[in-house]
Amino acid sequence: MGLLNPQNFIYGLSLALLVLIYLRSRSRPTIEVSSLMLFDEAPAPVASVRHIRIDPLFWLEMLTLTALTLAIAGLYVMRPPSLGHGRSHALVFDLGAGMSARDASGTRLDQARRDAIEIIDQAPVGDEFSVIGYALEAQVRHPQTANLADLRKALGELVPMAVPARTAALRAALIRARGAAEIELFADRPPAAAIVADAGSTARVNFHQAGAGDFNLAIVSLDPGIPSATRGRAVIRNFSARPHPCELAIDLGNREQFHQTMMLAPREQVVAWFGPLPTGGVLHARILTPDAIDADNNRYAYAPSDRAAQVLVLSPDPAVRDDIARVLLAVNANFQIETADPARYLVQANASGARAKPLDLVVMHDCYVPVAGAASTLLIYPPPVAKSSPYADGIGISVGGTLASAEIRGDATGESPVMESLALGATRIVAIPEWMDLIATATGPGHSSIPLAAIGRAAGGPVGVLAFDVRDHLLLAPDHLDALVLTVDLIKQLTAPRDILIVPTGADVTAPATGTARVIQPDAGVRTVAADKWGRVRIRPLQAGRYTVESGGRTTQVLANYYDAAESDLAAKPQAEASAPAEKAAAASNAQAARQVQPLVFVLIALALLALTIESAMLISHAGRWGMRHV
Amino acid sequence: MLEARAFEPEFLRKLDRLVLGIKRARTVRAGQRSLGRVQGLGIEPENFKEYAAGDDLRFLDWNAFARLDELMLRTYRADRQVEVTSLVDASASMGLPERDDKLGLALAIGAALAYIGMADNDAVRIAAFAMHRGTMKLEATQFHRRRESYLNFKPFVTAVKAGGETRLGAAVDQLLLQRRRAGMVVVISDFLVNEGDVEDALKRLAAARHDVKVIHVMGEQESTASYPAGLFRMRDAETGEVREAVLGPATAAAIRRRVEKIAARVRGICTAHAITYAQAFGAGNLESFMERELPLLGIVR
Repeated sequence: MGLLNPQNFIYGLSLALLVLIYLRSRSRPTIEVSSLMLFDEAPAPVASVRHIRIDPLFWLEMLTLTALTLAIAGLYVMRPPSLGHGRSHALVFDLGAGMSARDASGTRLDQARRDAIEIIDQAPVGDEFSVIGYALEAQVRHPQTANLADLRKALGELVPMAVPARTAALRAALIRARGAAEIELFADRPPAAAIVADAGSTARVNFHQAGAGDFNLAIVSLDPGIPSATRGRAVIRNFSARPHPCELAIDLGNREQFHQTMMLAPREQVVAWFGPLPTGGVLHARILTPDAIDADNNRYAYAPSDRAAQVLVLSPDPAVRDDIARVLLAVNANFQIETADPARYLVQANASGARAKPLDLVVMHDCYVPVAGAASTLLIYPPPVAKSSPYADGIGISVGGTLASAEIRGDATGESPVMESLALGATRIVAIPEWMDLIATATGPGHSSIPLAAIGRAAGGPVGVLAFDVRDHLLLAPDHLDALVLTVDLIKQLTAPRDILIVPTGADVTAPATGTARVIQPDAGVRTVAADKWGRVRIRPLQAGRYTVESGGRTTQVLANYYDAAESDLAAKPQAEASAPAEKAAAASNAQAARQVQPLVFVLIALALLALTIESAMLISHAGRWGMRHV
Repeated sequence: MLEARAFEPEFLRKLDRLVLGIKRARTVRAGQRSLGRVQGLGIEPENFKEYAAGDDLRFLDWNAFARLDELMLRTYRADRQVEVTSLVDASASMGLPERDDKLGLALAIGAALAYIGMADNDAVRIAAFAMHRGTMKLEATQFHRRRESYLNFKPFVTAVKAGGETRLGAAVDQLLLQRRRAGMVVVISDFLVNEGDVEDALKRLAAARHDVKVIHVMGEQESTASYPAGLFRMRDAETGEVREAVLGPATAAAIRRRVEKIAARVRGICTAHAITYAQAFGAGNLESFMERELPLLGIVR
């Protein structure tokens, strides 16, 4: 029993009003008498008569108002669903990377699929089923239907994704399954008991655990190092409780750079050093030893080219120029950096005419100078637009003002780690164009959200924006590491090759395209995607491996890496023990789970009408008794 | 209100033929309850008598001695004026129920008796008493003898308001402290106090050789218990005590019984101490009370 709209219970104040009216009408008047001696022999009043006076009209009005208040507040009861034909079931599947783990009889998803088909086959004729999958988010794969053929087809189309199954997605899936009388949850690990208990308040939850093995190896990270300079390294982790061999191969392009078989102790993480690589390019690490999950056996990284890249740093502050140069060299030691004061640079450029060498990256701090031939541009703390020197059309940003201070919000997106709130100094209020992707936002006085970092591909090349000022050695301050991380991320993305994108699975990726683009997935599946008005397509790689985007004779490689420590760790507890909390929660909730919400609005309104009818009849009776024609 | 009736000429005309029923003594005899001064101190000649040894030589009639050659004493009528005090209860209980106007009735009776007393040139006064915050407040007018000065009572009578508690004993104490000569004291009250206080007060008045008359006033609504029916909270006007009661026929009967008991009790006390007791229940009975009831009881003649 509960209330659907508890806030409407405020109408219950009408009850208090009625009681006040009643008490006022029943309050005992006081008579001042000459002496109570005269009342010594008067009979004392009976207390019960005084306090609980039986007034049927009052109680009928109380009943009416109570019923109406409860009806408005949405009183409901939980009652068992009707058994028999037409009972609804929801089949909820975990589609995270863990469900792709192979056991003796196929993947865990295959096992869950078989269990689901068995449930379907055993269900009475007329029962309906829906199919819901979840990983990063919940999705109804097939709505309620009693058509078994469609159900089998929908179950057959389920594929595991190379992404972790999020708890929020599980909650969302269970919420979407709430209309069903029974929820069949298929996952490779027990969910939190609280989640099951929440869902169990409206439906019976039956948890089915798929798979029990724990042997899995994963590439945790891959660092190519600096070609011809520093060694690269790959971090391998054994999630099993037993020692396992691991055959690791690392290729640069088509040439194998590293191949070694090593023995990993139980739950050991080792670092495999290789290189230095002879040249830059796409580095591909592979675990050749068969294990449960394939998605985390491959990882791509891009080794920067050893070609000298020309970088121009413009800032009116020499200390800032120096700081940015240090950061650039840390990102790529092959950068050839030129720093200049923007005022002097303009004079020199005008004097010498066009520049001789094209620039790979121009970093401008608190200034904007149109530089011809820049492959990519990073604007740090861009100045407000002056009428005489607006930003180039390709840049597309506008600066509306400056905040004295701002605070990075912890919901930064992209590859940057989730940041805690961090106070920054002066920050520009930048309006970014639609074709740019927001990486981080900030809050400031009078502003709930302003862009802090963004990147996009303009016609002239990639453009990145950092709205905060980096004066006073902000980038080198250990307390402002998040600002440095944002800067390094942007520089890496701006200097990465245009036709190669290395992203984590599940991330939104923008690739240049004209008209339509063919997207070839790692499993060789092909789909066509229309480019938007800014000449780009957005894809979201949900499988690990190589995606190829072809459009207008231009090919972009999207290399998706998957690794998630929690999802890849298949070393779940023994099934009976592991599933105990969930099953216990399910059992606890199922005591009331096999019930569904039954609003009592109509019953309460009927009760109110009945009470009003009785009251009217009593009033008519009273009127007749008093010789009145009407009440 | 009703007390103003005591100053209306029409009402006073009806009182003109009445006199107070006071036993006036020509001589003073020990043990006899009679009022008045000793013989010989008056100014109105009464008789002659032969001189006897020990007589006051001041009363020798020298003209008679010259004519008759006998010593004759002239005797005078004794001064028989009596001090009459109308002692009116002005406690809060006398003000309730308002429509009964008990206090008005009591003041009217008190003033009327004063008017009657003036017919014999008796010194009369009106006093009102009530206990306010633990202090007895006894207020009285000056003595007046002549009816021409009767209207001097009016400001006092109309100014008396009901309030405070009834403490008859304390009022009598204060009255006796004035050490006036014995006279007539007419106590007018509703006597809604405890029995002991009433008896003690009346007994002490009688012991001080006052000729005590008791007039018991009650309101008509109060004595007949004609209250609206229902559950009420009753508040004592003097003590503030609150009690709940269901008013109805049964309660009215009980109240009437209670009034009768109180009246019987006061009457019993009066009888025990040879005090004249009269009932004036209901403000509408003022004139009949004055003209018929009081003469029957001998309070007036």
